[in-house]
Parts: sequence; C-alpha cells; structure tokens
Amino acid sequence: MDAAAGSVPTKAASDTRAPGRVVKRHSIVTRVTHWATFLAILVLVMSGLQIFNAAPYLDASDKSDPAHRVLSIDNRDTATGSVGVTTIFGHSFTTTHFLGYTDDGQGVGGETTRAFPGWITFPGYQDLAGGRHWHFFFAWIMLIAGALYLGFGALGRELPLLILRPSDLPKLWPMQAYYLRLRKEPPDHGKYNPLQKAGYTAVLFVLTPFVILTGLALAPGFDAVAHPLLWVLGGRQFARTWHFVATLAFIGFFFGHVFLVLATGFFNNMRSMILGTYRLGEHEGTGP
Amino acid sequence: MKRRLFVASSVAAALAGCAKATNAINDWQPIHPILDTAESLDYAIIGTHGSAQLYAPSDITENFPTNGLPTPHQSEYLSYLQDNFASYRLPVTGLVDHPQHFTLAQLRALVSLDEITRHDCVEGWSVVGRWRGVQLSSLLRLVRPQREARYVVFRSFDVDDSGTPFYGSIDLQQAAHPQTQLALDLNGKPIDDAHGAPVRLRIPTQLAYKSTKWVKSIEVVSTFAHIFGGKGGYWEDNGYAWYAGI
Repeated sequence: MDAAAGSVPTKAASDTRAPGRVVKRHSIVTRVTHWATFLAILVLVMSGLQIFNAAPYLDASDKSDPAHRVLSIDNRDTATGSVGVTTIFGHSFTTTHFLGYTDDGQGVGGETTRAFPGWITFPGYQDLAGGRHWHFFFAWIMLIAGALYLGFGALGRELPLLILRPSDLPKLWPMQAYYLRLRKEPPDHGKYNPLQKAGYTAVLFVLTPFVILTGLALAPGFDAVAHPLLWVLGGRQFARTWHFVATLAFIGFFFGHVFLVLATGFFNNMRSMILGTYRLGEHEGTGP
Repeated sequence: MKRRLFVASSVAAALAGCAKATNAINDWQPIHPILDTAESLDYAIIGTHGSAQLYAPSDITENFPTNGLPTPHQSEYLSYLQDNFASYRLPVTGLVDHPQHFTLAQLRALVSLDEITRHDCVEGWSVVGRWRGVQLSSLLRLVRPQREARYVVFRSFDVDDSGTPFYGSIDLQQAAHPQTQLALDLNGKPIDDAHGAPVRLRIPTQLAYKSTKWVKSIEVVSTFAHIFGGKGGYWEDNGYAWYAGI
C-alpha cells in the first residue's frame, strides 16, 4: 500500500501503471484549490466558533427558545470557583478547561467564562465583529476555490473520475474489506477508489451545498428571498444548529482524510498535492 | 506525576500560542480592508430584496429581551420620559426640500405598518415581536429627499460609557423598503424606555444592530464620512460591517 516503499519497478517501464513509476497525479488547479480550501475551512471553523461564542447555545426552533435547546455551553459559580457546564439534549457535563470555562484567548494561559477556548477561535480573544469579517471573507475563498475546482474538473478529466456512480456501489464493501485487510486485492477502479469517490462526492455535492445554505439561512437579508429554505430547515435557529452540525461533519471528514493521508504514504501523498507527482504503488488510487 | 504536569503545561503553552498567533493576524490592520471586500460582495449579491417573513401572534416572544447599550440616563432623555414625550420633536432634516419636526402625535397619525416579524441579533439569537409604526418611506416622501441624497442617518439619545453618542445609517434603498419602519409600538404597547422609546428604527431584513433605538433626529445625507468615526454607525465605528443583511 505504501507506494514509496515499493519503489523498484517490477513491470516493464512501458507499463504506465507499473508500481514505482512516478506519474503526474494532480493538476495545478486541483493543488491550488485544495490548499485554498484547506485554509478556508480552517479559518471558517475557527471564526465560526468565535461567532458561536457570542450566543453559546443551539435551538431546534425558528426563534430562540430554551424549550427546544439542543446544546448550551455555560458556566456556573461554585465554592471553588467557576466551572464550565455543557448541556446536550438535557444532559449536563462538567467541561471546565475545555468548554464553558476556558482559555481566555489572551495568549498567556489565563481562563475565563467562555464557551469555546481561545486557542480554537479566530481571533483568540472575544471579537464577534472580527470573527464575522474573517468568516465571510473565507466563505468567499471557499466558494471561489470550489467553483474553480468544479469548473476546471468538469472541463477536464478530473470530475468524471471522482463522482460516485451506481456501478461503484457494489465495490464499496470490497474496498472497505481491502482497507480492513479482509481482502488481498482492492476491486478494479480508476484514479479514485470507490470509497474515495463516495467520500469526495458526499463532501462536494452534499455537505458543501448544505453548509452554504444553512449559513445563508442565518442572514436576514437572504431569508427575505428564501422563505421556503428556512421552512425546510426548521427556522433560523434550527439553521444555526444545522450549520454547526455541518461544521462537525467537516471536522470529521478532515480527520478521516488526514488519517488516510498518513496511512497510505504521507510524503508521497503530500508530494502529489504540492508538486503534483506521485509514485505509484501496487494499486492505483489506494491513497487518501 | 511531574512529567504529566510538564506535558500538560507544555500543551497549555502551545495552545495559548494559537491564540497569540490568531490575535496577531487579526491585529494586523492592513488585512482588514482586504477582508472588507467580502462585505461589498455580500451587499452586491444579497442586498435589499424580497421581504421578511411574517409571523402569527402565537409566535411572539414573551419578555422581549434588550441588548446593546443600556437605556439612556442623560437629563435630556429623562425629562422627555418624565413628560411622556409630550415635548419630543423628531427633526427630519439634511438634503431634503421640506425639513420638518414631527411631534409624537403627528407620527402616530402617520402609522401605516403593523407587522409581526423576527428580530435577529448579530450575536446569533432571534426573537419575534409585533411592530407598529410609520413606514420610513412615507415619512421621507413628506420631506422630499434631494437628488444627491444617498443615506439616512439616525442619531440616538443614547451615549456609551466613554461619552460616544450612538448613531446608525442606512441607504435610500433600505429606507424605501416597505418593511423599514419607525416603530412606535412593540407587542401592542407604546415602546418602553428599555426598548427604544419613543421611536426606534426597525429593519427586519438586516441584523438588529442597524435598528437604532431612542431616535433623536433623522438626517438625509450624501455621505457619512464626516459623522463621528465615519463608518456610518456606532457599531460600524467599532468594527461591525455597515451592511448587516448577513
């Protein structure tokens, strides 16, 4: 699986899929938009948590309504000082140092009553106005990077190779079995394997539109032209909850993605996404 | 135990460093004009279209919250409050053909809008209230804005702790929006002092920090660059975007 390890060519050099052969893997558009999107998601998540901190609770309703609260990150004074208290679906947990009573973001290790800690918000200190500027700027960066990637991908070969097709569905389990070492060979596939296709298709065509729409639903100016969207999402506060759920999904995707980058040849993978070249392993596309 | 403490304090120091780094980036002023380009795009794309959703009486939030600056405590405002705003006059001046001063009774005679709409705070929360008042567009028709008029500036009776007066502004498109009103009543009663008495601006298609409370005067201008911080409002001078439709 580690392509770099199998660097001795075992097939004729004329075989373009021979293990060990260095091939051009990612176009300049793919590489630039990949890193732009990474930076955008990083800033969007951190500035989003900054914005969340201004009203550290989520409701499953249109207007704010404690009766429909699904999450609140609060603090409580005790005899021994303030403690952070996080309540999820009515169940409360003490979360001092992590949530509710955390890093004050001044950069000197102090703590204060704050939902998300300063080290994970952008900027570190409490600054709703600043957080909003960063959030809305990088929302455009992500949108533009995504549009460029899809635009160039649709013109070239990239997108057809990436989109999950019905014919890929029977191959999903064999691919998973290969990853779990229950199977010696992965099923036949192109540049991206069936699980990669499923993951990227879901992120590109389900999760990204969802995070954009749930974010726009928070804008009163957009709501004025999108009443049905708000109705579908369950109202503005519910949209805020969905937007948070979408954020968690992005974070989950990020960790899964990074795990696979590490597990399938970190340096080879990084080279392919920075310089564009990739050393083939035994099987094409068993990478991240 | 000592090693664990060392690891824990190293992690804490590294994490505190994260905040240091993001703070330094945010404090670097040249970045902000670049970030502000997004506001222009948001305004160009979202702008002032459509109409805010209307709600049913059963949706109204009880105990409508207050937020932002505290109720004015200056003698001028308190004396108006004492005589129930009988001597209150609302000047509507600036780049208009017929500047006028309106009494509260005159404003009440102009009431044309009674809507239950959602009030969205920049902090993230939403409440629903019934707002009754004068459509701003109908008031502006009486004073006749001139050709070079672009913005409407609202000065408030309110002053923050450091003595800076509160004010805000909207453009003529937002002023002409049929749901932009000078609200006199909230939930069936005259607006009380905590919620902006006697008159507050109410813009359901933008975040609530644009809806100036305790309106003292209205001025039609071509630019707001010369007013206080020059960004078009108290919150804008404190870093918030002028366009709050998003």
